Amino acid sequence: MTTLRFPLSRIEGHARVEMEVQDGAVIAAQFQALEMRGFRYFMQGTPAEQMPVIVPRICGVCSTAHHVASVKALEDIYDVEPPQLAKEIRELLLLGQLIQNQATSLFIFTMPDRVGAKSLFHMDESEADAEQQLSLAQRSLKVRQVGTNLITLAGGQFIHPIKAVIGGVTSGIEPEAAELMLKDVNDLLPMACALFDEYWEMSMAMRERIGTWGDDQPAYYIASTGRNRPALDSDTIRILGPNGVERASFPPRLFREYLNYEETEYSYAGQTSYQGEVMRANSLARINLTVSMGTPLADDYLDKLTRTFGKPAHPILLFDLCRGIELVYAFERAIEILSKDLKYEDTHRPYSPKDGEGFGLVEAPRGPLIHHYTVKDGLIEDVEFIIPTVHNMLAIERALKVAGERYVSPEGINLELEKAVGRVVRAFDPCIACATQ
Amino acid sequence: MPEDRSLPRFAVLQLSGCAGCEVSLINASEWVDKYRLVYMPLVVSTATVPEDTEILLVSGGVRNDEDVYNLRKAAEIVDRVVAVGTCAISGGVANLGDRDEVRQMFMAQSSRHHLPHLLPKSHPIDTFVDVDLYLPGCPPTPELFMGALMGPENFEASSIVCQECGRQKLKDMRPKHLLGFQQGEVLPEICLINQGYLCVGSSTRGGCRAICTRPGHPCVGCRGPSDAYIEKESQVWFDRVQQVFERMTDIPPDEIHQALHSPQLSLFLFQFTDYTNSGRPARSKEKVL
Repeated sequence: MTTLRFPLSRIEGHARVEMEVQDGAVIAAQFQALEMRGFRYFMQGTPAEQMPVIVPRICGVCSTAHHVASVKALEDIYDVEPPQLAKEIRELLLLGQLIQNQATSLFIFTMPDRVGAKSLFHMDESEADAEQQLSLAQRSLKVRQVGTNLITLAGGQFIHPIKAVIGGVTSGIEPEAAELMLKDVNDLLPMACALFDEYWEMSMAMRERIGTWGDDQPAYYIASTGRNRPALDSDTIRILGPNGVERASFPPRLFREYLNYEETEYSYAGQTSYQGEVMRANSLARINLTVSMGTPLADDYLDKLTRTFGKPAHPILLFDLCRGIELVYAFERAIEILSKDLKYEDTHRPYSPKDGEGFGLVEAPRGPLIHHYTVKDGLIEDVEFIIPTVHNMLAIERALKVAGERYVSPEGINLELEKAVGRVVRAFDPCIACATQ
Repeated sequence: MPEDRSLPRFAVLQLSGCAGCEVSLINASEWVDKYRLVYMPLVVSTATVPEDTEILLVSGGVRNDEDVYNLRKAAEIVDRVVAVGTCAISGGVANLGDRDEVRQMFMAQSSRHHLPHLLPKSHPIDTFVDVDLYLPGCPPTPELFMGALMGPENFEASSIVCQECGRQKLKDMRPKHLLGFQQGEVLPEICLINQGYLCVGSSTRGGCRAICTRPGHPCVGCRGPSDAYIEKESQVWFDRVQQVFERMTDIPPDEIHQALHSPQLSLFLFQFTDYTNSGRPARSKEKVL
């Protein structure tokens, strides 16, 4: 038996893939998370009200989702409902995160695979037309910057936001600032669409070259997005069966009745299943679980995807295309929100801290994120972070095994396997800092 | 465009951290045509730090044995090592676990099958290698990253966050108690201390442009102490914050003392002063941006 070990790059955090190969067959594929800091342990004893500022540090890529989930878990305990303005500013914050994340995954993590470069910052070294590649890189960073600017505007701090507070937000958004941002989003929406079009073309070309969109079996899907249009500040988790029929829907406090969690010996991250079945979270899950994006351009792209691949769609590399649809949606939705009055004074509701158990759910870019806190004497007694990447672990390993079987035969191992491993893992866009905390 | 060999070459080594520092660096696009990024696994597929790398930015704390190995190997090659962010400077948020009951829960995890072995605590990187420049912030802003790459002499900042914040300090608005960390209404343009918030911007080093206090959140001190306190022990720093509150408010000193020692703040406040027992020289202010 031979063990093939693949280091990974262009994903968040430290992980590797190991594949056991015997007589030209793939026996097993493991996705190993290699780091752990232990938030679930060292958060114990923390004054509950400090959680929203500390937990973004779980992950600098997904910080906004942790920030909002934390505030919602405490609002659940303190029994306070934020006013409309706060909800709008939080949605803007989550949209900023969605733009930044999907642009990062599309252009920084996965586009290099499509043009044969080692990174977006080395596109000029790739085989294709250098000038054109450089323009791609510059435009990609510009589009991504819109997400960063939205996070800064709606979240205060630009990586670890501070503006969402228990009961609301610290402040509204001044009309001048909103107007500048609105102009920025409007101006760059066409560039985002054009880039996504180019990305789609590159993906088609890659499909021609490698002969597959990622040939794995259908799976269950998990997301907390809305039925008729995306929702990020959500309250219900839904499960879709492989045949496209919705199988379950439940509030975050009941997650244990539907999801089974297990730890493994070979990774610092655990894995979840839907009652023993392989499930997938992230962009493809959301798109499969949403009828309409509710904004014109994103809906055009959704139609194109559905016409080409059907619904539910299962091929692995469609995760990437779905991210593009969401990128466009987030631009369009941000325009809607920024066009409203966000300055008014009704920023928060008063609350009284109390003890108890609370759940905060957010649809993060990687899927449904739950913060589960137990508070006693004002301090965190116990804490659980239910992480979207962990929901994808079994699906990642199954897809890796399928990819392995494609490139491993009794005659030998095709060198394309290493690239395939990277493509499969990046399609799921795992976040190791979150998965292990 | 062929690769420009004349550009300074830098690498980014991420140890156990959150990647927030890396995201901030990517947000700073000014370096793209001035420097050559040769290693950064988050965004570049290259296996090792190349031999001709000049500047090494290190983020994250040293949490496991693989972190130690990667750090030592990379630091040997380069001309200049920059410790980026709270985790690389002090061990960071993971250091909240540096207490007995937590350590025990941790160590139960440490014998996993051929995974990197966890150390008993998260260490700052200068426990293992010499550092030429410290870049505090959680994370440092894109502007600060540019300052670190170009050299501190090219970066201008106020000595403390207060000066960059510019909220007005009022003589006749004296709170009697702390408001807690996030409760209550935030009045625009008026100092957060006057409003009863535990803001430590009065002795936290400037350079962040007050991005938290401007929209109404008290400074948690992520940039660490200003030059006036950075080479002194933590007590001097605490006394200073205490004095500011005694001068500006009627809040009982005990209340402030207790709040300053809570995790959210202690996470950052100790980052330059927790070195007393380690046997390493103090970090001089000249080495801190």
